[in-house]
Amino acid sequence: MSSTGTGIRPPPQVIGAARSPVMASAFAARTKVLPILELALLIAASIAPLVLRDYITVYATRVLILCLFALSFDLVWGYAGILSLGQSLFFGMAGYAVALLSRDFGVGSIFAVLPAGSLIGFIAALLLAGFLLLGRHPSSVVFVSLGTMTGAYAADRLARGSHYLGGQNGIPSIPPMTIGSHEMSEGPGFYYLVLAILVLIYLLSRFLLRSQFGLALAGLRENEQRIAFFGYKVQHLKAIIFAISGAIAGTAGSLYAFHEGFVWTNMLGVVMSTQVVLYVLFGGSGTLIGAVIGTAIVEGLSFWLSDNYRDIWPIILGVLLLLVIMFRPLGLISLVLGERERVGHFGPGVKEKRNAAP
Amino acid sequence: MDTLLIATFEILSFGAIVVLVVLGLGIIASMMGIFNFAQGEFVLLGAYVTYLVHSVGLPVPLGMLAAPVAVGTLGFVLEKLVVRRFYAAPIVAMLGTYALGLIIREAVRGLTGGLYLSVPEPISGSITIGNLHFATWRGVIVIITLLVMAASHALLAYTSFGLRVRASLENPQLARASGISTGLIYSITFAFGAALAGLAGALIVPVFSLFADLGIRFLIQGFVAVMVGGVGSFAGPVAGASVIGTFSAWLPWLMSPVIADVLVFVLAIIFIKLRPQGLVSGRGVNR
Repeated sequence: MSSTGTGIRPPPQVIGAARSPVMASAFAARTKVLPILELALLIAASIAPLVLRDYITVYATRVLILCLFALSFDLVWGYAGILSLGQSLFFGMAGYAVALLSRDFGVGSIFAVLPAGSLIGFIAALLLAGFLLLGRHPSSVVFVSLGTMTGAYAADRLARGSHYLGGQNGIPSIPPMTIGSHEMSEGPGFYYLVLAILVLIYLLSRFLLRSQFGLALAGLRENEQRIAFFGYKVQHLKAIIFAISGAIAGTAGSLYAFHEGFVWTNMLGVVMSTQVVLYVLFGGSGTLIGAVIGTAIVEGLSFWLSDNYRDIWPIILGVLLLLVIMFRPLGLISLVLGERERVGHFGPGVKEKRNAAP
Repeated sequence: MDTLLIATFEILSFGAIVVLVVLGLGIIASMMGIFNFAQGEFVLLGAYVTYLVHSVGLPVPLGMLAAPVAVGTLGFVLEKLVVRRFYAAPIVAMLGTYALGLIIREAVRGLTGGLYLSVPEPISGSITIGNLHFATWRGVIVIITLLVMAASHALLAYTSFGLRVRASLENPQLARASGISTGLIYSITFAFGAALAGLAGALIVPVFSLFADLGIRFLIQGFVAVMVGGVGSFAGPVAGASVIGTFSAWLPWLMSPVIADVLVFVLAIIFIKLRPQGLVSGRGVNR
């Protein structure tokens, strides 16, 4: 594994950043694209149910939940350079767990099931990260991706074989989620609930990535060895972000389970894991909004195209993905977003401090 | 005693299948440093070519000869067009080849209509020794695997082409300076790995029948085997494949197949964690 042991970088590093002062000032002078994009999408998402027909709103709710899931993958791949090919493990595990809570214990309150789902995702991710990342030998990226993929595959197989979990068919007809005495059924209400959760988690992630912790992560992504020389425990940082992403995936999984009303093995397995990789690569890893845009575009396209071109749609998707990877390694977002803004700046104080230093 | 012999034969023949599938993957990973996620789909494509030849009424062995040629050619073209761009970034290579695999898999799914299609064994029947019966075709797979393994090893270890491949692996700059066209060598190596996968697909399609997800079944197994064996040598992936193949065939005799399937992978991952360099560490063909 000598060629992949060290010096592996996610795509963001392959492209050299525009670092010269001239370029930097030119970018700083330009209007920021990212906040405008985020705001525009938020407005579009908020008014969507008012103009869309009901069945499309239901579909849009599902897309929002998948956006949340994509966000969790973007955190680990786009920001920490961990290629998790088993992200659906946390998504599906939380989904199955809340389905069981609801089926066997009659617990359906949103204040119980969402925290439970997140906690399960968090713990599962923490354990897996502890095993895969920590230890005497630093793990290669290939090993971590293989390990996560195996985790998802194993969970899929076990769920398929388990009578308690419903085998091939999964767990059908989960009772609806409740807030107080109100039952959440699919429709605009559920849509706005998911949107609120998505915005909240988006903002929290944004805050996290712009904090000192995010700064260390950015350093990790740019040059892992140098960050290690500075005394950061690189593998611990990775494990923490992995666990956080697991919690987000768990939240998404529990929402998904209640929205669809059933859980089945594909939620756990390789199918869902690769789906989320598609979303994030498509939209652009390394920006939070890229994950959202990617999910919306891929799911939107598949909604319109799969009706008319059901057979060739997966092939088109594969070709599009290949083209994006080959020619736009930073995803579609890089069409409108400059390199400098993508990397971002960290806190208002950083610039002054840097200038003050001799 | 009889069951033991039957079990041994089953384990041997399944181990041979895994070795055959993994060999191409291992050669590409070891010689070029990228993990080819489309390898499972090359296996699928080999199976499909065999089915295609069979369905137009030509004899099955002809399809089995055509499969490695067709898949190898495709591998050559894909390397030139796509894979070539990814050598600098092994992780992007995984994603890119994954996209390739997705395209091939979905294309085959469209072509087969999502059905399970069967191809008859070219040599059917069984060999009877005493009161034991062995499926002849599985025996043939074992023999062909051994031949292919020996031929691949000889090609890489003893021919001047093998020397060039190893030189390009060891030090691409120096190889280029010595007048070796490393680009061409990489193309041929990739095509060779793809052809081996195609051959594997052709040989196993009578056993497993043809369906679109045939490749995925072997992909994870192949990766785990390569990592267990160790990347960088010829013997590594073969050793890893033998171990994984043996366990995959042996454990279901002891416990339920689902648990056995999962257990093999979990044990393998733990092994790789404890010994990242794999069973056979080091580079080169003879080591």
